[in-house]
Amino acid sequence: MASERPLLVATTPGACNPDDAPSPHPPAASLLPPAQQEPPLRADPLAFSVEVPDPFRPSRRGDGPVDDPSASSQREREVGDNESRAVVVGEPSPEFAGNAIRTAKYSVLTFLPRNLFEQFRRLSYVYFLAITVLNQLPQVAVFGRGASVLPLAFVLFVTAVKDAYEDFRRHRSDRQENNRLASVLAPGTAGDFQPKRWKHIRVGDVVRVASNETLPADMVLLATSDPTGVAHVQTVNLDGETNLKTRYAKQETQVRFSQNGGVSGILHCERPNRNIYGFQANLDIDGKRVSLGPSNIVLRGCELKNTTWAIGVVVYAGKETKVMLNSSGAPSKRSRLETQLNRETVILSIMLIGMCTTASVLNGLWLLNHRGELEFTQFFREKDYTTGKNYNYYGVGMQIFITFLMAVIVYQVIIPISLYISMELVRLGQAYFMGADKDLYDESSRSKFQCRALNINEDLGQIRYVFSDKTGTLTENKMVFQCASIHGVDYSSGEDTGGYSVVVGDNLWTPKMAVKTDPQLVKVLRDSGKNEEAKLVLEFFLALAACNTIVPLVLETRDCNQKLIDYQGESPDEQALAYAAASYGIVLVERTSGYIVIDVLGDRQRFDILGLHEFDSDRKRMSVIVGCPDRTIKLYVKGADSSIFGITNKSSELDIVRATEAHLHKYSSLGLRTLVVGMRELSQSEFEEWQLAYENANTAVLGRGNLLRSVAANIECNIRILGATGIEDKLQDGVPEAIESLRQANIKVWILTGDKQETAISIGYSCKLLTNDMTQIVINNNSKESCQRSLVEALATTKKLTGLASEASRVTIALIVDGNSLVYILETELQEELFKLATECSVVLCCRVAPLQKAGIVALIKNRTDDMTLAIGDGANDVSMIQMADVGVGISGQEGRQAVMASDFSMGQFRFLVPLLLVHGHWNYQRMSYMILYNFYKNATFVLVLFWYVLYTAFTLTTAITEWSSLLYTVLYTSLPTIVVGILDKDLSKATLLAYPKLYGSGQRDEKYNVSLFVLNILEALWQSLVVFYLPYFAYRRSTIDMSSLGDLWALAPVVVVNMLLAMDIFRWNWIIHAFVWGTIAATTICLFVIDSIWILPGYGAIFHIMGTGLFWLLLLIIVVTAMVPHFVIKAFTEHFMPSDIQIAREMEKFKNVNQVNRSEIPMRGFS
Amino acid sequence: MHNVLGERNVSATEVSLSCADSKFTQQELPACKPLLTPGIVIGAFSLIGIVFVPIGLASLSASQDIVELVDRYDAECVSANDKVGFIQDTKTDKACTRKITVPKPMKGPVHIYYQLENFYQNHRRYVKSRNDKQLRYKDSASMITNCEPEATGQDGAPIVPCGLIAWSLFNDTYSFSLNKKAVEVNKKNIAWDSDKNKKFGSDVYPHNFQNGGLIGGAKLNEKLPLSEQEDLIVWMRTAALPTFRKLYGRIEADIMANDEISVVIQNNYNTYSFGGTKALVLSTTSWIGGRNNFIGVAYVAIGGICLFLAMAFVVLYVLKPRTLGDPSYLSWNKENPDQPN
Repeated sequence: MASERPLLVATTPGACNPDDAPSPHPPAASLLPPAQQEPPLRADPLAFSVEVPDPFRPSRRGDGPVDDPSASSQREREVGDNESRAVVVGEPSPEFAGNAIRTAKYSVLTFLPRNLFEQFRRLSYVYFLAITVLNQLPQVAVFGRGASVLPLAFVLFVTAVKDAYEDFRRHRSDRQENNRLASVLAPGTAGDFQPKRWKHIRVGDVVRVASNETLPADMVLLATSDPTGVAHVQTVNLDGETNLKTRYAKQETQVRFSQNGGVSGILHCERPNRNIYGFQANLDIDGKRVSLGPSNIVLRGCELKNTTWAIGVVVYAGKETKVMLNSSGAPSKRSRLETQLNRETVILSIMLIGMCTTASVLNGLWLLNHRGELEFTQFFREKDYTTGKNYNYYGVGMQIFITFLMAVIVYQVIIPISLYISMELVRLGQAYFMGADKDLYDESSRSKFQCRALNINEDLGQIRYVFSDKTGTLTENKMVFQCASIHGVDYSSGEDTGGYSVVVGDNLWTPKMAVKTDPQLVKVLRDSGKNEEAKLVLEFFLALAACNTIVPLVLETRDCNQKLIDYQGESPDEQALAYAAASYGIVLVERTSGYIVIDVLGDRQRFDILGLHEFDSDRKRMSVIVGCPDRTIKLYVKGADSSIFGITNKSSELDIVRATEAHLHKYSSLGLRTLVVGMRELSQSEFEEWQLAYENANTAVLGRGNLLRSVAANIECNIRILGATGIEDKLQDGVPEAIESLRQANIKVWILTGDKQETAISIGYSCKLLTNDMTQIVINNNSKESCQRSLVEALATTKKLTGLASEASRVTIALIVDGNSLVYILETELQEELFKLATECSVVLCCRVAPLQKAGIVALIKNRTDDMTLAIGDGANDVSMIQMADVGVGISGQEGRQAVMASDFSMGQFRFLVPLLLVHGHWNYQRMSYMILYNFYKNATFVLVLFWYVLYTAFTLTTAITEWSSLLYTVLYTSLPTIVVGILDKDLSKATLLAYPKLYGSGQRDEKYNVSLFVLNILEALWQSLVVFYLPYFAYRRSTIDMSSLGDLWALAPVVVVNMLLAMDIFRWNWIIHAFVWGTIAATTICLFVIDSIWILPGYGAIFHIMGTGLFWLLLLIIVVTAMVPHFVIKAFTEHFMPSDIQIAREMEKFKNVNQVNRSEIPMRGFS
Repeated sequence: MHNVLGERNVSATEVSLSCADSKFTQQELPACKPLLTPGIVIGAFSLIGIVFVPIGLASLSASQDIVELVDRYDAECVSANDKVGFIQDTKTDKACTRKITVPKPMKGPVHIYYQLENFYQNHRRYVKSRNDKQLRYKDSASMITNCEPEATGQDGAPIVPCGLIAWSLFNDTYSFSLNKKAVEVNKKNIAWDSDKNKKFGSDVYPHNFQNGGLIGGAKLNEKLPLSEQEDLIVWMRTAALPTFRKLYGRIEADIMANDEISVVIQNNYNTYSFGGTKALVLSTTSWIGGRNNFIGVAYVAIGGICLFLAMAFVVLYVLKPRTLGDPSYLSWNKENPDQPN
């Protein structure tokens, strides 16, 4: 696998920090629909995953054109002048973007303004700034200027340093990337390639790339080392697929290069867009117009493989390349807690305004009452006698206003700004622990859990719906040939024979993967030789070996006489079939553009590939025309059962067709993917007729795809059925157990798959989603009316079933919806019906769904309920669903990394979902909820203490607590323990949470964060602030106590109280938590010592003085105890008399009941 | 950096799980899991009760032992109806004699305080009106920021010490006689040592002080450095609450029961213009500070409540016992009693 992947490097470096993602690239100005042009190259020719026509065009994605009814019909539309770019081959054009890329956000000059701008896009920082600015006004100034600017400056500075460092790394990687060298044809010369830096390459340059080199830009292939113009590329950097893809240079250009080493012409291509599977262009060469498609372009970031050299002309460079256009990060999501937190912030703002209004109105009243006395009152001194004017007094109205503003500054911390920073730190810590968890580490693919979005950790604890892709997510997407039905005979038993090898010279070539073979079948194949049955069997395997686009690669092994044959291809099904054929002794050994070499039971034979009809979603089959060594010409075809049975030779062998159909049914009910293989011998005239049509179609400029399709349809008829294959799509480890756990946790699991109904249902059974006692409702219709009818009927049925069923004998209903029906349901008024129906059902399976339908189904739930949705998938077709769901999880598996790139979290296996949700999700939610509430509470306590004091200062907002302590309270005195607790505390152990999936319900029911808990916390703050303030107040009434000393008590007491409350709520005390909780109290004391050791401050020496008195310690003790009593009583009472499930589980843990009781009940395989 | 695409090729050493397996990264550090079992709840409440009630009783008795005499004199010491006019008139004789009979013996030293009420020494305008640099350094005489409107005299020269706090220095004086014999009042060491040594400069002398248009309070002896002006130092430790006491001095001798103390008060300080009151306080001290029953009462009350709660919980636990950690209390088990889980 390539170790260098510099292209997308700068997309999300920290992987976990939302700020890292570069600003999204401007949407590409594509005027063509991004999907469905040529037969998509990527769609596996034989997997039925994405073939259903899109029910709605991708209008919600930013890059596509808006719904244009004509656009979809213009598959082969000419590239018009106004929407294309013209590239003169061999003439670098300065008109288009150069090839230098720039992923860095800032330069030295722009860093400061742009970074500040970025940072102040957060609302909380603006609030922070406004308060600071307010404090700079002399009349309003509460804190010293330096003191008030410091916290904001600190936060800004830290973030800026972090951003600068990241940007520096981006600059460095940009520089490396831009300075790589490529050979570029010097303009005007023929064949004179000179090294040039990547950043100097321009559109129109002709570039030569050698084997294993990375492509510097998106290029149209002009010529390759292969005489037929074939080049193989590996696109792992682009979409993560490791198999080779075949690209072609057009014969016209290929020939000219071989003749005179140069080519000139004008190329018209569509504007840059982000669709990596689509491309349309025309090349005007020698007065001829050649049309180019996606198979003629190679993209930046890919590597050339198996091809000595390739020459291409750059059409898109730098930031306009498809890879760069695709490198924008996932859309940012906000966690549900954060949204709810805004509601509480509003309540707190109202409280803040209330307190400020109270203080300022009381201040005004006081001034009115003492109107006449102000001049001679020593502590007010209204007038300045040197000038005779009022000093700093602007009349009652103005004083009220100023007091109000000052109150806002003094009480600002009631809206905890530091909370946002704490939350980010906590999420960072949580992400670290999720990534480090060995239960989320996939040994087989060596992939760690990755937290790509850092702001929705806690959402993992509140999921109610899981939408899962099937292929590659529930299954491994490692296709294994299981059984075959040949000429009506089922060969299903398998036996490990250790594989089959062919002898080539002195060497032994072994296929990389051995498939279990059926001894019966092997016998038939080997023994007889000439009978009819054996012939058919041979044809069957020849079809498997020939009818594909597999490229065999011969790999060296350590033993120089041993070589491995690795079948590279775009479809895992084809690979499985080719390996199967190889195991039975029909080994595909070599493929060149014109012929293939097959080792037929030890006899190397050459088959000419005369024509190939690629797979497309209308025909649902592919075929090859092969010139056999015995001079016959044969057509081999393979495809979906429905498509092949439609073109069979009607007259013949009805019993065989029936037997095959029966076998197919059996296979698909076993959960196997089925294919039917057929053949037809072509007469010379048929072949010539076809060849003419084929060539005409191939060179057509207009409507080439349609022409080719009809050519294929004409020849694919009268097919003789050879047999059928059953390929197992293996379930991943632990999937049934995982689904069972999720269901116990009250999470509804929906499967959205592109597979056909039978396969989907059988997978449903094998992963225990469907059980035999379920009632299945199937919606599979072809018109809107019939959809409506079946929906209404189904609704009635469910009502009846759920209505009469009592709790005990509840009938569970499974709903199976077909993609065709969804076309008529989604985005119409029938949606509502489907929603009602689906929410009644405990299992929903959607089969044959297109990528955007997946997103539509997620949206169906997301927009209609408050329930949290999670989408999990691994392929490019899951991207839209992953981005739509509240939480998107990508499986870093076989199908490439597009899903991972779009996801919020990525991991190696489906079963990791269980520890992720039930354990980490639960913890994250519990921790984050507690931390938010606690932050509200602790700041409210402090602010209320300040507020009560104002009532005794003639309402003038004096704070007895020093301004330094006021500022440090949120930053240092109380913040660290909550962060540490938010990262480390666990209410329950992993084993308990896994053993009792129902404990997950606390997050689903919003048990840990809701308005009543918030009110309770604020009431607690109220009580504790009263205790903290009034106990010293009454104890020190009519005494000599000075402001600084009492202020120190009022600063220390709330710190001790709120930390003690935290201590009381901590579930698990490990040494780190101990260190931080007690350390914080000690640090606060030290800070007070330090502040009172500064002689310039009025409070000099106060803390030492007051700590020398017994009354101080008596007060501190009684304050802490009195403040805690209500909390302790409520906690003791509810925990014992109204215990939550979590409380019971904690007790079980403590008293060791958990392990004995439950290990046996729920299989723990896969989680522990 | 930039592992965006390729965690799959992360080398084995990078993610070697040997370190990832540690108890820290797996969040399995040994930890104590406290639970509020009935024993702990009852024990905690009982313990608090048992500790608090005696502390409260001890505090109460200490407070009760303190003898405190308070004599409010602001009203009686002004004969005129126009109290503000009287006090502002510099010519009139403001001496005023008060007689106090001591009910209980007072062991020396007896502290003398003046007590002001409704005097907001914590008023925002007031509390900021000082400059601590000027108080400490001789060279910083011109540091008068925050001192307005008492920053400079009419001639523009800086006032030392500047600001409203110093300007409003309390200037009533008391002279005592016990049973008609004059008693010396010890006015030494009434301020904090830290203030005298560090905060107020020993080479800073009052200058231009109380020369302005309005006299706020006492004048200072220009011959004495600020570090020795203990009345000023005490006054500048601004009080936390609007009713406060400040130490005036001490009578070192013991005072017997039924002794008669007569005090001659120079009633100079203007509390009349804002409705404040003045009182003279004589008090003995103990470890609890001054006479204040509050802390004792609070301890007894909280201790009592906790004892009551301890008993209440005993009753509750007896009436509604619950086996801790019994899975049958789990909500889903309660709903479907026949299902095992």
